[in-house]
Amino acid sequence: MTDGIHTDIRTFIIESFLFGDDSQALSDDMSLIDNDLVDSTGILELVGFLEERFAVKIADADIVPANLDTIGKIAAFVARKQVS
Amino acid sequence: MPFGLVKMSEIRPLQEHDLPAVADMFRVVLRKNSIPATPSLPSYLKSIFLDAPDFDPDLASKVHVRSDGRVSGFMGVLPLRMELRGEHVRAATCGSFMVEAHEEDPFAGARLLREVLSGPQDLSFSETSNDISTTMWRKMRATVAAPYSLEWLRVMRPASFVLEVGAGRFAPLRFLKPLVSPFDTLGRRSRARQTWSHYLPLAGKADAFTDTEASETESAALIPTLLASFALRPQWTPQQLEAMMIHARTKAVHGERVLRIVRTGSGKPIGLFIYYGDPGRIGRVVQIIALAGQEATVIDRLLKHAEERGMAAMRGRTQPALLEAMLGRKFAFVHASSTVVHSRRPELIEAVTTGHAFLNGFAGEGWTRLIGDRFD
Repeated sequence: MTDGIHTDIRTFIIESFLFGDDSQALSDDMSLIDNDLVDSTGILELVGFLEERFAVKIADADIVPANLDTIGKIAAFVARKQVS
Repeated sequence: MPFGLVKMSEIRPLQEHDLPAVADMFRVVLRKNSIPATPSLPSYLKSIFLDAPDFDPDLASKVHVRSDGRVSGFMGVLPLRMELRGEHVRAATCGSFMVEAHEEDPFAGARLLREVLSGPQDLSFSETSNDISTTMWRKMRATVAAPYSLEWLRVMRPASFVLEVGAGRFAPLRFLKPLVSPFDTLGRRSRARQTWSHYLPLAGKADAFTDTEASETESAALIPTLLASFALRPQWTPQQLEAMMIHARTKAVHGERVLRIVRTGSGKPIGLFIYYGDPGRIGRVVQIIALAGQEATVIDRLLKHAEERGMAAMRGRTQPALLEAMLGRKFAFVHASSTVVHSRRPELIEAVTTGHAFLNGFAGEGWTRLIGDRFD
């Protein structure tokens, strides 16, 4: 199940923030913030995608780099949300 | 704090002790001013965001507070009672959206916007949204109201206008005023029609009307009647409107306020206009309101008054109801900031996109002293 989450998130990031360019290495622990992939605008798009795709409710307090800075963190966060 | 617990950053309603930090941010982020804020700015912020008579704790302004307790983001909210075809609408007028030290918390702005838009209001809007902020609103599925998002400009005296634009960056240029004024006078000679560069007070239908200086009380009593044709409009009481006008009597940066009611020959009011501007400067129009079908006349009276006052140019924000009347009158239009609207109710968005909503100016942030006043 987590693999599916990883894949969906990765696909979304490639399509939305890399304009479909999948030639760039995008490891699970690569910081999306430090690599200028996600900013204040992008995070709203990402959160909207997560809420819609995985049917989770994301609170304001959840929108922090600790949850959303890497694909690995996002996938783990979504998995936790789905359980809770 | 118990050992081992880490305090996270948070979004919470604005509190009085946040005001000095918010004032500092306003000065640095929005005004690009390096001079420390005097107590007058926090005091003003308190008066509009915490102590206003229509303050609503459910629609409070919000701050972003970092994990170290420092306030690093703000979004101001002014509650506004509106109505859509007789039905009450709870609206939040949003503005002064700002975040500092963005690199330390790149999600602060997004969290602020999400928090404000998720409030209990039926409609949220901002008339002062810059490009970054507009992109963020769009990601929240907001609509950019294009016909409300243009700045109009009517040049009246081109040489003075150019000088004023330059003086906006380097004030001593105004000493050259006596040298450039003759060019404006020369340029107006031997012309018999309006041009982009000059305004001429030509005879026309508007001459059958008058405009006279108005008190805040009589203007406030008139405005609800003038708004009756808008499907979505503020539900102001005359007392609220009067208080807003008294509150914004002075805008030191924009100049003296001009408040005039336009009437027919028999004395029936058909509209009013409010602008700020000292003679010779560029006038900033906060509001033009007219009875349906009388927009062109009110605009013509405004331009005639501005011409007689010696204004270099006039500028203001578009509204769909005024746009048609502006065509053919040599107005130029540019985009500086956007009016963005957000609602879960399609009929409210439709009222805006079809131009049947009264937004901007008094229904926005433009009337406040935050736009155009000094806080020295």
